[in-house]
Amino acid sequence: MLLELGKIKITDVQPGDATKVENGTLYVNTEELINLALEDDRIKSVKIEFARPGESVRIAPVKDVIEPRVKVSGSGAMFPGMINKVKTVGSGRTHALVGANVITCGKIVGFQEGIIDMSGPTAKYTPFSETYNVCVVIEPAEGLETHDYEQAARLAGLKIGAKVGEAGKEVEPDEVVVYETKPIAEQTAQYPDLPKVGYIHMLQSQGLLHDTFYYGVDAKQMVPTFMYPTEIMDGAITSGNCVAPCDKVTTFHHLNNPVIEDLYKRHGKDLNFIGVILTNENVFLADKERSSDMVGKFVEFLGLDGVIITEEGYGNPDTDLMMNCKKSTDAGAKVVLITDEFPGRDGKSQSLADAVKEADTLVSCGNGNVIVEFPPMDKIIGTLDYVETMIGGYEGSLRPDGSIEAEIQIIIASTIANGYNTLSARMY
Amino acid sequence: MSNIVVVTNNEVVHEKFSSSYCVEYHADATLLETMEHARDKIHRGHKLLTHPLSGSVKPNDTPYKTIVISAEKGRIDFNGLKFIEESIASTIKFLDGRRTPIWTDKVKADFKLIDYTIISTAIHSMDGKYIG
Repeated sequence: MLLELGKIKITDVQPGDATKVENGTLYVNTEELINLALEDDRIKSVKIEFARPGESVRIAPVKDVIEPRVKVSGSGAMFPGMINKVKTVGSGRTHALVGANVITCGKIVGFQEGIIDMSGPTAKYTPFSETYNVCVVIEPAEGLETHDYEQAARLAGLKIGAKVGEAGKEVEPDEVVVYETKPIAEQTAQYPDLPKVGYIHMLQSQGLLHDTFYYGVDAKQMVPTFMYPTEIMDGAITSGNCVAPCDKVTTFHHLNNPVIEDLYKRHGKDLNFIGVILTNENVFLADKERSSDMVGKFVEFLGLDGVIITEEGYGNPDTDLMMNCKKSTDAGAKVVLITDEFPGRDGKSQSLADAVKEADTLVSCGNGNVIVEFPPMDKIIGTLDYVETMIGGYEGSLRPDGSIEAEIQIIIASTIANGYNTLSARMY
Repeated sequence: MSNIVVVTNNEVVHEKFSSSYCVEYHADATLLETMEHARDKIHRGHKLLTHPLSGSVKPNDTPYKTIVISAEKGRIDFNGLKFIEESIASTIKFLDGRRTPIWTDKVKADFKLIDYTIISTAIHSMDGKYIG
């Protein structure tokens, strides 16, 4: 499977009569986007606001972040099984508006979703302080159940992301990157002397506000499967996760998975990137056994010499992480884990909720318990009403002047457990 | 699924599950005490069926916890005991860092809903499967 990803660099966002890209500026017809979201009668009202790097703007609470993309050629359309027909994606050509994002915000439950600061000392902890953001502030219809609202907000974000992405269809990209993974026999034969490396991608799948979708399938209902890495770049995986802002994998992070990106960079140089094993993080221990058994089986069947495993979330996913680590090791692969840590504010407590002796190589994406200070901002997109009840916030977090003291886990993607961040920890 | 016991301090789980499942409801227990109740049952020979740290909401944020164990008793489930002891240790670590806030009724209702939904979808997805 071969995908050409055309990257159109966006350097500003402005309102406009039509949604289009000109000389790096994304113009957005806000009315068009509002009407698109309002097609769903579960949504009462929608407001579109812009947030640019360096502005004194705080966005909260954030649900999802979507990079606008469009299929230019090849089968399928963006986010298959969610907002478009089910059809295998990941080949042909796709254009991405790199540097622009659609951010859905608004309250879903009285806790959870996190913060993005566009400037100040906390901006550096989230990648979305450096992008030109089209913020979609959603209000649900009266009396809507949480399930329905989460779904409506999720689909609105994807629809708007895809709509804005269409603006890039006819634009000449600034850069075109080609990614290719061949069927297993050919791929193995192409670089016979290089170690075969796979990526085990664990999807959050525990229930309401903890879900992820693969071609529209709720990940808790699937058994582990094989995915060509380029499928993810066309939106085969979408996020329904609103839990623990710091390490939730937004749809943006699926589209731009850094493990896949880096494995491709080294593909054919010092490793042979065979593909992605997708698995889930379910609640029943029997499901964990079943899924990790199947992961081990894939590692053996594909003849992988090495695997990288990432997880999403804290607590019971640590058990899946360790089961996958052990069974991949038993199947003959060397294993590297990537995750964030919750070792307490002083960093001295146990980082993960589970461990096995095979887990001897781990890349840390930082400590979610660290306290940070947020200065007041001139403009709030969304609301600060819920700061003290967001995860990472606490009583007294929000001061009358709008400044905040909270754990770093309140910031979107600050310790994201696939490495799309700047924090880490080193052991000497 | 008649072969399970649902240990919970979540009244929504108690209300919705009691007609279908055996529910051991500890109305006044904290999240930590609920885990300890489940742990004590594991010591008495019940098997742990769901991960005690279900959900990614941290154990010093949500006050509610539901854990599913087997109705049958047998030899001690040492693997399950390990999971629940590690989960209790992890919970104490979080609580030592910061106590669970005193939430408004609205937020409590959201936490109850999340805990209930996680367990109900999990039980539903296991229907007809071997769960031991």
